[in-house]
Amino acid sequence: MNLKLDKVAWILLTYVVLTFFAFIYLSPFIRSLVASFMTWAQASAYPPEWIPKPFILDNYKRVLELDLFPRWILNTSIYAGLTVVGNIIFASMAGFAFARLRFPGRDALFTALLSLLMIPVFVTLVPNYIIIYKLGLIDNIYGLSLLSLASVSSVFLMRQYYLALPQEVFDAARLDGCSPLKSYIYIGIPLAKPALGAIAVYQFLAAWNAFLGPLIFLRSPENFTLPVGLSFAFQRSMWTEYTAIIAGSLIAAAPTILLFVALNKYLIRGVAVVAGKG
Amino acid sequence: MKFVGLKNYEALFKDLARGIEGKPFFLAPFSTGLKNILIYTAIIVPTQTALALILAVFANQRIRGTQFYKVAYFLPAVTSPVIISLIFIWLFMKNGYINYLIQFVAPGFAPDWINDKNYLLYAIALVAIWGTSGHFMVSFLAALQSIPREVYEAAMLDGAGPIRRFLYVTVPLLRPMVIYVVVMGLIGALQMFDLAWVMAGPSGGPGGAGYTMALDIYREAFVKLRPGVAAAKSLFLFVLIFTSTYIVQRRYGVKPV
Repeated sequence: MNLKLDKVAWILLTYVVLTFFAFIYLSPFIRSLVASFMTWAQASAYPPEWIPKPFILDNYKRVLELDLFPRWILNTSIYAGLTVVGNIIFASMAGFAFARLRFPGRDALFTALLSLLMIPVFVTLVPNYIIIYKLGLIDNIYGLSLLSLASVSSVFLMRQYYLALPQEVFDAARLDGCSPLKSYIYIGIPLAKPALGAIAVYQFLAAWNAFLGPLIFLRSPENFTLPVGLSFAFQRSMWTEYTAIIAGSLIAAAPTILLFVALNKYLIRGVAVVAGKG
Repeated sequence: MKFVGLKNYEALFKDLARGIEGKPFFLAPFSTGLKNILIYTAIIVPTQTALALILAVFANQRIRGTQFYKVAYFLPAVTSPVIISLIFIWLFMKNGYINYLIQFVAPGFAPDWINDKNYLLYAIALVAIWGTSGHFMVSFLAALQSIPREVYEAAMLDGAGPIRRFLYVTVPLLRPMVIYVVVMGLIGALQMFDLAWVMAGPSGGPGGAGYTMALDIYREAFVKLRPGVAAAKSLFLFVLIFTSTYIVQRRYGVKPV
């Protein structure tokens, strides 16, 4: 009897703790969603109010009226799109080569590539800047995208994925006279769809949220991406009322949040798998 | 390009020497950034690791709605740090939401987090913990689910209660994952940039209270236009990250790396 009571108490405690922290993690989002429909006077009231009264869309209007904001959305989309496409192409090719082809120095090359993962971005910042500068691509969204077209983590993921596929498939293709290029195009890519999907999602999230790179390589406000643009708008006080910044932040965060909620099972499992390898 | 020997490192170590003498922020920005980031790391790495572990242990039971909790905890990790910072600046205002919540726990405690140099770094640390612990919780949960149930049943038969089971079964079996989370936490914390840039501002906020080494490297390269010194400082940061993660893996890791 006592044991059963203990168990019920324990389950109850579990729910209380988990729900309390769910509240902690979610409430900034809910609070800003609610406040984005409020006047600044109401959003800054103390104690906080939860029901927008009057319910207004002015904050969103004010954000979208600023000509720069739609440009930032466009720039971020270009950057994220190119990053995703580049990573899918280059990571699948490099991963296929590292896993399925034999060439001198393959393992040494791969080890060298992996060791890049340990180097902080700040170390390569100045050299990268010089390269992009010499190419004349500073303040250019395509110049910025050039730097993120391939990433070590994507190559690593693709290599592991190809290593896990049965060798027989590739042997059979070779016996049928498939060149390495053909076996990459007709077997490698179709079989790797799940891994390519994962890369697409992770790279999209990373590019959409990226800050340091866009901050350094983009100079004029009309070329900014959303994170850089929003922090610029905040520091220049381009909107006098903070509710506009909240509304802008929510618009900027919406694609990543919706993508995550839609794909939460796959994304969370992916994190678990990646972490398990570490 | 001209070879200048160790001149760039001289600038770096002079700054450190001034910092050790206790000179103020504007004379020793790099030292201030180093000091801040060490405090910040010392706060957030243990806190987020412990919090993530505890939440994962609670969620690793036969209960309904674990997926909802996972989604809720993970949401901050998919949101841009810049956006998170912008929202938290508002939440951290003197008459803001966070001070309102604090009144339930500690009545009367209502600092002006962002503008007070004594609290700015802690505000940033709180945001960082909020932003990353959920992500690590998911990693821990995956590791917990791979521990066979029999181990716990054996411990229960030996009369171990929930707390003892946690300390003597769960924690040792999770050690590789704890190391992973600590190492990833260290790497992220020591080069923190985005949160400080937005919450403290590019120049580090009041009295440089939110200044970090990463901000200083940025300023050195792109504001003061001394890329050589910036490169020297970034190598210092790299050595700091490399040695600290190496020590953690070496001392506590299952096998030496």
